Amino acid sequence: MALTILCITFVGFLVAGIPVAFAIGLSALCTILYEGLPIAVGFQQMMAGMNVFSFLAIPFFIFSGELMLHGGVADKIVTAAKSMVGHVRGGLGMSNVVACTLFGGVAGSPVADVSAMGAVMIPMMKKEGYDADYAVNVTTHAALVGALMPTSHNMIIYALAASGKASIGALIAAGIMPALLLMVCNLGAAYYVARKRGYPAGTFPGWHIVMRSLAAAAPGMLIVVIILGGIVSGIFTATESASIAVIYTMLLTFFIYRTMTWEAFLAAAAKTVKTTGIVLLLIGVSTMFQYLMGLYGVADMTGELMSHISTNPIVIFLMINIILFLLGTFMDMASTILICTPIFLPIAMQYGMDPVQFGMVMLLNCALGLNTPPVGTTQFIGCAIGEISVGEVMKSILPFYSALFLAMALVTYVPMFSMWLPRLLMH
Amino acid sequence: MILAISGLLTLVAVVFYQVFGRYVLNDSPSWTENLAIVLILYVTMIGAAVGVRDAGHIALDSLTVLLPQSMQRYVELVIYIAICLFGAAMAYNGWVLGWSVAPYLMPNLHVTEAVRYIPLAVSGVLIIMFSIEHILAIFRKAEVVPSWH
Amino acid sequence: RDFRSADIHPNDYPTVQGAMYMGKILSERTNGRLGVKVFPNGALGDERGTIEQLRIGGLDMLRISAAVVNNMVPETIVISMPFIFRSTAHERTVLDGPIGEEVLKALEKQGMIGLAFYDSGARSMYTKKPIKTLADLHNMKIRVQQSDMFVAMVQALGANATPMPMGEVYTGLKTGIIDAAENNYPSFESSHHYEAAKYYTRTEHAMVPELLLFSKPIWDKLPAEDQALIRQAAKDSVVEQRRLWDARETTSKEIVEKAGAVIEDVNDKQEFIDAMKPVYEQFAKTPELQDLVKRIQATK
Ligand code: NA
Ligand code: NA
Repeated sequence: MALTILCITFVGFLVAGIPVAFAIGLSALCTILYEGLPIAVGFQQMMAGMNVFSFLAIPFFIFSGELMLHGGVADKIVTAAKSMVGHVRGGLGMSNVVACTLFGGVAGSPVADVSAMGAVMIPMMKKEGYDADYAVNVTTHAALVGALMPTSHNMIIYALAASGKASIGALIAAGIMPALLLMVCNLGAAYYVARKRGYPAGTFPGWHIVMRSLAAAAPGMLIVVIILGGIVSGIFTATESASIAVIYTMLLTFFIYRTMTWEAFLAAAAKTVKTTGIVLLLIGVSTMFQYLMGLYGVADMTGELMSHISTNPIVIFLMINIILFLLGTFMDMASTILICTPIFLPIAMQYGMDPVQFGMVMLLNCALGLNTPPVGTTQFIGCAIGEISVGEVMKSILPFYSALFLAMALVTYVPMFSMWLPRLLMH
Repeated sequence: MILAISGLLTLVAVVFYQVFGRYVLNDSPSWTENLAIVLILYVTMIGAAVGVRDAGHIALDSLTVLLPQSMQRYVELVIYIAICLFGAAMAYNGWVLGWSVAPYLMPNLHVTEAVRYIPLAVSGVLIIMFSIEHILAIFRKAEVVPSWH
Repeated sequence: RDFRSADIHPNDYPTVQGAMYMGKILSERTNGRLGVKVFPNGALGDERGTIEQLRIGGLDMLRISAAVVNNMVPETIVISMPFIFRSTAHERTVLDGPIGEEVLKALEKQGMIGLAFYDSGARSMYTKKPIKTLADLHNMKIRVQQSDMFVAMVQALGANATPMPMGEVYTGLKTGIIDAAENNYPSFESSHHYEAAKYYTRTEHAMVPELLLFSKPIWDKLPAEDQALIRQAAKDSVVEQRRLWDARETTSKEIVEKAGAVIEDVNDKQEFIDAMKPVYEQFAKTPELQDLVKRIQATK
């Protein structure tokens, strides 16, 4: 009964257009009232959920990404990517995929990635005669690697939701291979659509230009090496590495690139505060929600239910993927991770999946959810920049979805992709 | 806002000092962790409130946009009343929880545990104010201009 | 009515099993009218969070380490102090006697009904290099919980205290951010820390008891006969919890030894005990606490 109240009020508030964080919070409060518990219990849970030291990496990764964006690092990455693959058919599309992947390494999330890259690439592509729907789809899908590359704050959220079963260091190392896989799949989709529509190819600028533009972008990309190297070698913890990333970015943009101004710095800091507030509030209210699911034993119930349907790992993993996909269509990334990890991680582990690999599956699924209506944050941003509607974007989305599903299937059923690098580095 | 930004910069400094302390001073300061997690609450809760003012929180609005223009205003009104209620619950319970732990000191930091709940109460009050601002704007058929993007 | 009880440990852990056993006998004695439903694995929140819920009446029962309430109830500081108990037998005698009653009573003033003490064994150091004397610990980076007393204890031993969340300890040991950590046998085993630090030296520096608590706001609404039944069931579950604890320690010890962990004693434990003088001075400040220390030490 209480669970029904929780679900109905949540969906009701959501449909009414109440922001997701408040919809989750209010439905949890309704259920707590029904249960006859003090409301303060809910808020105690909410604050406890945000009061975790490792979560500090979230504002730090957001901050370093904002600094990179406001400090002109994004432009250098675009130039490098263009010189590398601009001469292939649909060259700007291909450059876009590579640029998003590279910037995904330094941006805290797909949302940050799409805002940064989309602002530069989408107008550029439209000017060169590419259709807006193609430009938006390439950007929004390529940006999803932002969730898998080392500065991903969603990875930190997963590590915490998995309550210590997967180390942050291993997860950060694990993300790189699936990210590259996703890039390859995206390149395939971008090339396929470009061929079909007969988009032009750019000219190859020559190796010296490639080298020069790469050298200009390299100090920005170095941050990936610093974070990964620092954590794997044990020089600092994940949280500390994130603070080092911020300090490094400040030094880089203020003193080496000399592209940072005080106004831009304050804008980056202000944006970080706002994004942090939005993300951590979601984490807080999701903890409230989690508390209720713990109270009603939802995780055990789901596990039992699924084992009635099948005990074949292939089917179980498929079911998990489908459920995560469906939730991802209307839920936000952070709340999906927080609410679903405690439910599905034990099941996945029971059927032989490593928590690190499950993290990759979870992140990929939630990332895909960012590009699916009705609530698709990166899709919204991409459409806003490209000045088209979600409906128009859906016209050429199929090849990109297929690319993502392929990447997802490989990551789900071939443990190698996720486990090879962490095993190599951590042992 | 200045408060939140300086909080953020202090956070970076505090965690950086933890690394610095370990390698340069060869002494891990034990207060850094506790101070950092209190600071993050302040930054977060101010950020969350500003998110309400700038309408930055993620919402499902694809269904409400289907409604006629006149209905949409009522729906918006309901949304901000709901947010306002949540803000009120935050403020009241932040006070209740803060009061219940006020006599005790936090380990390593030696300040009252209530500082963990003050941001909840403050943010609640800010959310009430910002949602009332939106409600008034709806009545006056005006828009709330975001303070920063 | 089933009372909800929270615990951060997994289902098979002796503290969880102890509370379940209490529920079982309570249910038998009331023909199913009263019972206990345990929520393990921190399903209802972490230790500090659940204590706040308990105090505002949002949770009925709770198993928690005495160390968590140190800043609320000064008397619990004394029973959490390093080397306060000479042995498990000494610990049990003290807690079963008038001193234990006194500490449980002290909890009541802070909105918690103390039902009983459970066992959590002795905590010892585990390191990557063997420890024989106090000098071996010099300048080692030792992971401790977020606790003033453990930080002070490690400093008094001449080492560097590094507070760190439990989840990061394994990687921390492997990569060398820390050189050592400390815990009891079951945690040393279940966390797999023995793979990263195989020398388990029986310093037995702390025996922090577990507390079984009841929410005061909810307690005050119960009829006196129910209160008595609950208290009795809790007390009776202690015997079972201790039996389970001892069995669990033996199993864990066997597992880590089989995996190659080296379990040793220090040459002279007195050297470690003597080093604790500044810690006792810092934490047992008031005459009442000093008196409590003396009475525990005097207990045979
Ligand atoms: Na990233
Ligand atoms: Na979606």
